[in-house]
Amino acid sequence: MKTVKSFALAAPLVLAATAPITASAQEFSKELIEKGRYLATASDCVACHTNHEGGKPMAGGLPMASPVGTIVSTNITPSKEFGIGNYTEAQFSDAVRKGIRGDGANLYPAMPYVSYSNMTDEDIHALYAYFMQGVQPVDEKSPETNLPFPMNFRASMMSWNMLFRPNEVHKDDPGQSAEWNRGKYLAEGAAHCSTCHTPRGIFMQEQKSLNLTGGQIGAWYAPDITNDPVHGIGSWTQAELVTYLKTGKLENKAQAAGSMAEAISYSFQHLTDADLNAIATYVRSVPSANAAGTTGATRFDKGAPGNDMAAFRGKDYADGLKGDHAGAQIFAANCASCHGYNAQGTRDGYYPSLFHNAATAGDNSINVISAILNGVDRHTEDEHVFMPPFGDQTNAVVQLTNVEVASLSNYLLAQYGNDKLTVTPEDVQVIREGGPKSNMVQMARIGIGAGVTAVALLLASLIWYRSRRKTKPALSA
Amino acid sequence: MTRQSKDPNGTLMMSRRGILLGGATLFAGSIAASLCPTLSLAAVDAGMQGQFMKLSNLLIQHQLSPAVGARIAEGATAQYKNLPQMLEAIITIAEKNKATQVEDFFADIPEGELKDFALWVIAAWYSGSSSDKRDATVFTYEEALTFKTTSDILTIPSYGISGPNLWTRPNLPLSAPMPTF
Amino acid sequence: MVTKTSADVVIVGTGVVGVVIAEQLLDAGHSVLMIEAGPRVSRAEVVENWRNAPLGVKGDTSVAYPSRPWAPHPMGNEKGDEAYLQLSGPDSYAQTFIRYAGGSTWHWAGTSWRLTPEDMRLKSLYGVGRDWAFDYDTLEPYYVRTENKLGICGPSDPALQWPRVARSAPYPMPHLPFSPGEERFTEIARTLGYNNIPVAQARNSGMPYDGRPACCANNNCVPVCPVAAKYDAETALHRLEKKGATILVDSVVYKVETNAQNKIEAVHFYDQHKETHRIDGKLFVLACNGLENPKLLLMSKDDRNPNGVANSSDQVGRNMMDHPQLTLTVTTKEPFWSGIGPVVNSGIMETSQGSFRSEHAGAYFRYNNFARNRFVTFAALKKGLVGKALDEEIRRMTACTADIVAAHEVLPDPNNRLTLSDKTDWLGLPKPHIHYDVGEYTRKSAEVYSLPIGKRIAEAMGATDVKISPKFNQSKHIMGGTIMGNDASNSVVDADCRAHDHENLFIPGGGAMASTACGNSTITMVALAIKAGDAIVDQMRGA
Repeated sequence: MKTVKSFALAAPLVLAATAPITASAQEFSKELIEKGRYLATASDCVACHTNHEGGKPMAGGLPMASPVGTIVSTNITPSKEFGIGNYTEAQFSDAVRKGIRGDGANLYPAMPYVSYSNMTDEDIHALYAYFMQGVQPVDEKSPETNLPFPMNFRASMMSWNMLFRPNEVHKDDPGQSAEWNRGKYLAEGAAHCSTCHTPRGIFMQEQKSLNLTGGQIGAWYAPDITNDPVHGIGSWTQAELVTYLKTGKLENKAQAAGSMAEAISYSFQHLTDADLNAIATYVRSVPSANAAGTTGATRFDKGAPGNDMAAFRGKDYADGLKGDHAGAQIFAANCASCHGYNAQGTRDGYYPSLFHNAATAGDNSINVISAILNGVDRHTEDEHVFMPPFGDQTNAVVQLTNVEVASLSNYLLAQYGNDKLTVTPEDVQVIREGGPKSNMVQMARIGIGAGVTAVALLLASLIWYRSRRKTKPALSA
Repeated sequence: MTRQSKDPNGTLMMSRRGILLGGATLFAGSIAASLCPTLSLAAVDAGMQGQFMKLSNLLIQHQLSPAVGARIAEGATAQYKNLPQMLEAIITIAEKNKATQVEDFFADIPEGELKDFALWVIAAWYSGSSSDKRDATVFTYEEALTFKTTSDILTIPSYGISGPNLWTRPNLPLSAPMPTF
Repeated sequence: MVTKTSADVVIVGTGVVGVVIAEQLLDAGHSVLMIEAGPRVSRAEVVENWRNAPLGVKGDTSVAYPSRPWAPHPMGNEKGDEAYLQLSGPDSYAQTFIRYAGGSTWHWAGTSWRLTPEDMRLKSLYGVGRDWAFDYDTLEPYYVRTENKLGICGPSDPALQWPRVARSAPYPMPHLPFSPGEERFTEIARTLGYNNIPVAQARNSGMPYDGRPACCANNNCVPVCPVAAKYDAETALHRLEKKGATILVDSVVYKVETNAQNKIEAVHFYDQHKETHRIDGKLFVLACNGLENPKLLLMSKDDRNPNGVANSSDQVGRNMMDHPQLTLTVTTKEPFWSGIGPVVNSGIMETSQGSFRSEHAGAYFRYNNFARNRFVTFAALKKGLVGKALDEEIRRMTACTADIVAAHEVLPDPNNRLTLSDKTDWLGLPKPHIHYDVGEYTRKSAEVYSLPIGKRIAEAMGATDVKISPKFNQSKHIMGGTIMGNDASNSVVDADCRAHDHENLFIPGGGAMASTACGNSTITMVALAIKAGDAIVDQMRGA
């Protein structure tokens, strides 16, 4: 999953003072610009730097709520006044790979420069060419972001960068195939898989020892995508992983929602088959640090069709909601119309079955709850998949309460998925609020440890805000 | 919980023949009772349900949901005072004919109360209701057998059939095979 | 508990008309208070009510919407004195509507035929009925806004559009695909020279729209779309509240109060405990449907308005109209397989137009696309069949029967009249009484025009049996009771649906329609609502 969005570039850029030399006097070749465009797609810049409800590409303006206020993404078009049109290539490179913006201030790693740091000079050059001459300049100021204390300690990022920012560009491993190396370069760099799929440590840094073993990102859980056959995606073939990246779904296995839906929509589906295969080759080689010779059912093949409707059919709806059958009744009333009365989905697979489905059978219940509350919005060349939300959004088909969502989740888990999990209304509330909050929020507010704590708070909230954005009404394009 | 196979049409995993011919019907009845705690076990005992499912499987050669059967048996108990005797009588006729399908013995059920009851049982399974009236008792909607006879082409109304605008399909001739259910 | 008793604009009713106007006013910065007689229920409950209803009565939409004692609406099982609607006359004005938050779009099919220019000039062109207070070109931009507001899909090919006049903007979504039965019906109609074209309908076609999902052919538009792919006004209520609207439910308005200037001062309502409350405001909108609006106006008579509020013309409650329909249930040799896709998805509209309209009504023909299991199962069972024969008979009857419906226009007739019955409801309020006669104009159409066409279509379909409804049924398109006109002496509201008698009272919706044409009325009701909304915003600005 790619979730962490640019935070730092969202802050107003003050470029005039630095008065850089004329940025891109040279004329770049079409080929170079196209190469840059492709890399920008692979890096999914547009996901954050465009307001998808009527905004212009890369012009920023996407509002993203965070625990400390609403952040609005910035204009990264080559507008000299409002965008990055005055950036030199060196400044651009530092912003993308080191998290240092044009005026020397530090970016926050919501902008995934930690991943982008592996990009080659050659590719940075192409990206620069694209952003200077392949993107339409938009002379519009994206709305200001005004964040309160303690979000203004950019300098503290310097020490964080020293500890956690890799400073090496990718180097091929001669012991591996060219495809694998290409895949590693993309997966660890532009596609920034680890940003979401690798769990974070106490300072919100990626725990490299647990690479790709899964992590919570706001209201969603980016699952284990190591080659572990039970907990990861070791049971998937190369072709299946490529299909998933291209379409966002694998029938009777999994489908992309949340940030992964965006990654599919704006990035992966547009990559070449060769690059998707390369990414798949690499990802499928990543072992799980947790692997302990596990066997058993994967999250892709738990559960079976069935229903519990005999318990309430023909009776009053209010009666159906009472007692043990509440979850089954809520399922019938809200889910079955699309997913089928036996949860079998439609025959064409457009509406997935709820058994043999990673969402209901993961190692935790986060994605069951989040799918119910937030729905799914994913578009590919062939289809626009849209499941409406059931939270308190204005377009929620039904606004389910925490108790109802818990009851429904428990039914889905028990009947169609991971029957070892249970959900409480409190769990639902946490997801409704966009995922767990760091207790560092409180610490920062009372002024303790303004340095590292503030940084950690920032990072926590950056990871967090993404999901908040998901809770606003999902309006159609 | 009616556990079913992965068939998208949701057909039962249980062997039809096994239910039809074996003592499994008793077992199915007791399962249904245990799966449907909303039913009063005092009112509809497992033995009665087993007999009811046995009769149902003689009258209808399709996979029948024990949970729905329990609901219909409950309705039959309320509606027919001499239910045990009628079940016994019709089952006896079927067994005398060594029936494996309804066509083998239905003509031998005498007109009147017994035949009316047999038709009622069939109607309950096919319509999911105790009658065509507004005050009918509803046993099932989704598993009413009428929808199974057209499940290859029609949806059960209120349930989606396909992805957006993907329901265009050629007309299906009457010669197309009956769905298996 | 009523915590708010005043607002800039008070809207009685939370159906599509009230909801659309409310949003216009909220967006313009006015405070809005909406008062709904009935309850607010979740889609989940309505869907399950319907599934829990016996198969034999699923065609009765009221099974999904049980009425509340304080807000009665027609229920299929209530007859005679106990029925909410008290009826008389040669034809029965037996409507279905619901008094629930969200109103009767809960169970509309979503069919959205525009009027034609001719439909609005019956008097000038054919010497019958009434002309509208304005022409089609005036209405057209409001149709476009309606289509975008509700999310109405329709064909982009002008040859498939209705009416056959240039549109000022395309539909926001493409039309929905046909089922095999509709394809076949279209081919057959073409052999007779008729064009069966895609219905413009308020249903998300191939894409999400306005935050609602795409249609997945649940074939359940009537009585409820289980996924909200069809627009209904319930889908807007939460959004209105987020924009600041107050929505009171279970609150039955029984009186519109006028002041010395004969402006509207307040409305009074009963809550579900029979307690009375008063709500005042600057401007009032009655949007509680074409039947409840005239009832409320008549109930509100006072010394200044002895015939009822807004009724100096004596036209309130008169000219009650609908689209009287006749159904041909056809049994065919070849399968049609109705039931794949939305329940109404195509229609023949050109038969609604022609110079014959000086003599008799036009008609619109539609192929009903309801899955037929529920219509045929008991008939097959009653044949006493068992085993394979039963399965095959159900399957054959489901595949090889179809309903062709001819929906007619009627003329406004002051004798088709809603009055207050001496029978009272749970709150002690008078039940509406409606006297109705579809009239010679419509009867003659059935005799010489629509049924002959219907029979020809049935024959072309290879019908082995045709059953025709013995009498006109209602289409639940309530029109005319607060009719619009430029002449205050024979109409109730002006071209903006403002009451001639009260400058701060608006009565938009179907009641204002001066002609019915043949197509379903909702799109025109909403276009009138948006037009009224503009006028209200202007008027409030001046206030």
